Amino acid sequence: MTDEHESGGDPAEPAPAERSSIRIEHPEPGLAVLVLDPPHRPSLAVLDLVLMRDLEAALEEVATDGQLKGLVITGRAPLSFAGGADVEAIGSITEPERARELVRMGQAIFSRLEGLAKGQGGPLRTVAAVGGPVPGGAFELALACETIVVADSDKTRIGLPEVKLGILPGWGGTHRLPRRIGVPAATSAILTGRLFRARAAKKLGMVDRLTQPEYLLRVASDLALGREKPRRKERGWRALVVDKNPLVAAVVESSARKKVLKETGGHYPAPLKALELVVRAPRVPLREGFEKEAQAIGELATGEVCKSLVGLFQLSEQAKKLGKLPDGSDAPRIGRAAVIGGGVMGAGIASVMAEKGLQTRLRDLDPAALDNALRAHYSGIEKKRKRRRLAPHLADAAIDRLEFTTEPVGFGRCEIVVEAVAETLPVKRAVFGELAGLMPEDAILATNTSSLSVTEIAEGLPRPERVVGMHFFNPVPKMPLVEVVRGAATSDEVVARTAALALRLGKTPVVVKDVAGFLVNRVLGPYLDEALRMLEEGADPAHVDRLLVGFGMPMGPFELLDEVGLDIAAHAADSLEAAYGERMKKSDALAPLLEAGMLGKKTERGIYTWEAGKRGRLERGELNPLVARPNASTSLSDAEVVDRAVLAMVNEGARCLEEGVVRSAGEADLATVFGTGFAPFRGGLIRYADTRGLEDVARRLQYFASSAPIAGRPGGTAKFTPAPLLARLAEEKGRFHES
Amino acid sequence: MRAGGAYAREDAAHLGARITRELLARTELEPGAVDEVIVGCVGPPHDQANVGRVLALRAGVPRNVPAYTVGRNCASGMQAAASAYDSIVSGRAEACLAVGVEVMSGYPLVFNRKATDFFGGLMRARSVPAKLAAFARFRPSMLAPRIAITEGLTDPTVGLIMGKTAEVLARDFSIDRETADRYALQSHERARAARDSGRLGRELVPHFPLGATKKQGSVASDDGIRDDQSLERLAKLKPYFERPDGVVTVGNACGISDGATALVIATEERARDLGLTPLAAIRGYDWAGCDPARMGLGPVYSTAKVLERTGCALSDIGAIEINEAFAVQVLACLEAFGSDEFAKKHLGREGALGELDPERVNVNGGAIALGHPVGATGARLLLTTAHQLAEADCELGLATLCIGGGQGGAFLLERISS
Repeated sequence: MTDEHESGGDPAEPAPAERSSIRIEHPEPGLAVLVLDPPHRPSLAVLDLVLMRDLEAALEEVATDGQLKGLVITGRAPLSFAGGADVEAIGSITEPERARELVRMGQAIFSRLEGLAKGQGGPLRTVAAVGGPVPGGAFELALACETIVVADSDKTRIGLPEVKLGILPGWGGTHRLPRRIGVPAATSAILTGRLFRARAAKKLGMVDRLTQPEYLLRVASDLALGREKPRRKERGWRALVVDKNPLVAAVVESSARKKVLKETGGHYPAPLKALELVVRAPRVPLREGFEKEAQAIGELATGEVCKSLVGLFQLSEQAKKLGKLPDGSDAPRIGRAAVIGGGVMGAGIASVMAEKGLQTRLRDLDPAALDNALRAHYSGIEKKRKRRRLAPHLADAAIDRLEFTTEPVGFGRCEIVVEAVAETLPVKRAVFGELAGLMPEDAILATNTSSLSVTEIAEGLPRPERVVGMHFFNPVPKMPLVEVVRGAATSDEVVARTAALALRLGKTPVVVKDVAGFLVNRVLGPYLDEALRMLEEGADPAHVDRLLVGFGMPMGPFELLDEVGLDIAAHAADSLEAAYGERMKKSDALAPLLEAGMLGKKTERGIYTWEAGKRGRLERGELNPLVARPNASTSLSDAEVVDRAVLAMVNEGARCLEEGVVRSAGEADLATVFGTGFAPFRGGLIRYADTRGLEDVARRLQYFASSAPIAGRPGGTAKFTPAPLLARLAEEKGRFHES
Repeated sequence: MRAGGAYAREDAAHLGARITRELLARTELEPGAVDEVIVGCVGPPHDQANVGRVLALRAGVPRNVPAYTVGRNCASGMQAAASAYDSIVSGRAEACLAVGVEVMSGYPLVFNRKATDFFGGLMRARSVPAKLAAFARFRPSMLAPRIAITEGLTDPTVGLIMGKTAEVLARDFSIDRETADRYALQSHERARAARDSGRLGRELVPHFPLGATKKQGSVASDDGIRDDQSLERLAKLKPYFERPDGVVTVGNACGISDGATALVIATEERARDLGLTPLAAIRGYDWAGCDPARMGLGPVYSTAKVLERTGCALSDIGAIEINEAFAVQVLACLEAFGSDEFAKKHLGREGALGELDPERVNVNGGAIALGHPVGATGARLLLTTAHQLAEADCELGLATLCIGGGQGGAFLLERISS
């Protein structure tokens, strides 16, 4: 995997000259060092067609040089090897045969490299000297060498993450890795797509030798010329007893398959395919195995899941550029930040800030709220320390960095404040009004509001251009999205600085317009509402939830409602209705539940019952009289249930695109996947509509708009009548993504 | 905080970093503007030998600002302020952070010598029989630990634990049990009044301790003040150090405690440049040595020196803090201050330093109620005295304490008219 193309894809760019991507150096007699240094990839080399062509030529030259004893393959710097195969190319393949050709081409070149090694009857000792990111194809290149030396650095990440893009390691990885580290370890590495740190990789035997980055080339040269004996962890008897044992393979396969199916709901074909190959790998001749890889990739790479995942990957890479100032430079690092409000959101934001290296000052008027915030922060960090996700000294620092106070003092050096206080305009304005006087003039005033207008909050404040929305999602430490809301007065610089902070906190920013609900809650509203409508019509919540989980949502709408809290959901629905009128009319099912004090998980009763975090069912006789209309009996088919919920969301998404709430369909996809968990294998909300076909989507919406239960309720027809943009594109047989 | 209480799981660097961070936040002082960080601590944790440096970095002070740890037993926090003063007077620095911190809860139990040798032997044994032989040398007596806090509070040159030095003073000055208890009660009463009026609050920052249990919240005031303390209760306690006839009990001595204090010490000009409003000016300070077996009289010796150095008289001083290591020790000091005989014999003066008005001494209570986190107390006395200048509407304040090993330290503070 790799960063975006710096130059690729631009037809005006002259193709890089032949032999320009790989340098052959001869630092001492008998040694050749191949340096991956493509001029058209200034940040990180990518194993694109140009580089592979040059690699083939370079290997040819090395093979015919009778003087050589050793060969080292390395990157242009110890911590810059290569980013793997060309993701953009993978994303654009449509022909299975073309995919297979590309795979076979790579396999052939890597086999040529492998054949040069002494152990394989060749003339050379072959050594890969790698460091920094070594994912996918880059690691497969290293696996084709006899010995792998890796730079012992925090920046090193090594592994085979292909399944995350919906494919599998196709350049020999599924067969060379199990031969090297055994079937059980290889299965776990390939199926999770995990990238390992240097020490973990060494422990598993994925690499043979660790060294400091500065010594990487020296050690590699010593190994290549035989001055140092390679100490490879051999599988020995385990190769026979474990890896080649069909019985072990069967056990590993069935337990791994169960795990994959449980985690993916069967929506992702790549891990299952990879599993099939990996467990059999040691018992299959390499050549035969490679052909299986080629066949698998031909199928996977042209599939919709792969395209969706590659698309999301590219979108999230693009989002990383949002942290640039208007003049193209990186936004300055924020050293000190403030958070106002120690509730769940404020505490979460402050905790993540402190963990990610910001000195953070948290204020709440209520000392008990601060206590809870600190307790949550301490225990969150301690958990990470125990699981070794944080080194002890970093955990200490994360705990130390969170300050707290009930008083308006100590904010003078804060460069940004994020407020997460009560959702009322006067309170928010008062908070910013007070802080504007305490903080530096150019400090950013960010609001985590989900239901108020950023523009209105900014009104009357001095320098409203520094007021911005920074909408985190609950739970903050886990949810990967931040909506950066541009108010009417917000400056580009402030948007960029806020996005940069979101990235620093490990979140993916999406810049959205200041409309009610922004993007995520605005599309989520009609979806949750529609679920409640079906409840009114007598549908069984557990059944609806099961169907939508089957569709690929991380949890069903009713479980989500209980999780969020029905009071919060009702509040959000009210503000959507106030902003958008009849098409967002709130379902009547909520009010009786609120009245009965059934607010969801936090009160242990909502649409479900909750005991110790476990979901249970309310007696039917208890829920139905509250929420369902008298004599309700539903005859909805499963497909109708899913479509009513999902297409309600699609239709609102279309309106968002029309109004320019986000700049592109891709950003809407990214936001829905990261913000709502919308099925990643479908590539996001808009991509789902495109893939399904807009004609079909429009027809289906029209059908619902005129169907009895919907047309018969206030706002039902307005909700389901296809948005103008959707209707137009459907007519033109177009797609959102190309418009 | 009482040791083993709310801060039982605290860590010196964390506690010190918390107070230092808050000081930097409230003063809006740019941490890089500090020239030096000096931290007083008697027993730094074994993994934080230079706890000052660890604390400074964890408080967000930039790496290029040097930091060190100072120790002068009970006066370590005062020593930090003295070292900062010296740095500034010598022209080496213009603004320093002086911090005192002690987590006595964290003092370890140490393996005794026999056990250490046993483990050493075990490590050296290579073969299985050798290991078995080494293991066979185990004796139950090896499990008896050395208690760092007890050994730390014992003067190795005279062989007396601190409480016994107080008993010596009780005999020297004929102080009886009831007088001592009465003084202890007053300390609690005054501390309670100071807490309730908010005078203590202005010196305190709430802290959410490490390892807080689910029921535990942040701590915002001292837990050593006993609202229900009474003479009857105090009289019930048994003498702790000398039974049955001793005077010192756990009720009329300071507690073992955890705490931290942080101060900014700067030249007047630099303070104004940094936008700081000074609490007080340091007029001068001094240290003095005395009999280790009578270390409690240290304040008398050091005050005599600082008065001579600055040319001030005891009667000019309106706010006085004498650390309350033991009630009898403070009472002995009060006696010695007013004694011509003591002055002639020990201070080389013609007449007494002067009578101390009990209404000007420790008016907000003292260590008997508030605790004595040894590394922090010296700095805490300076802060209390500085605040008391305005409260008592006087020009000069004295902060002084006795130091285990037979020393005294005294700072003379002056009010700054704004």
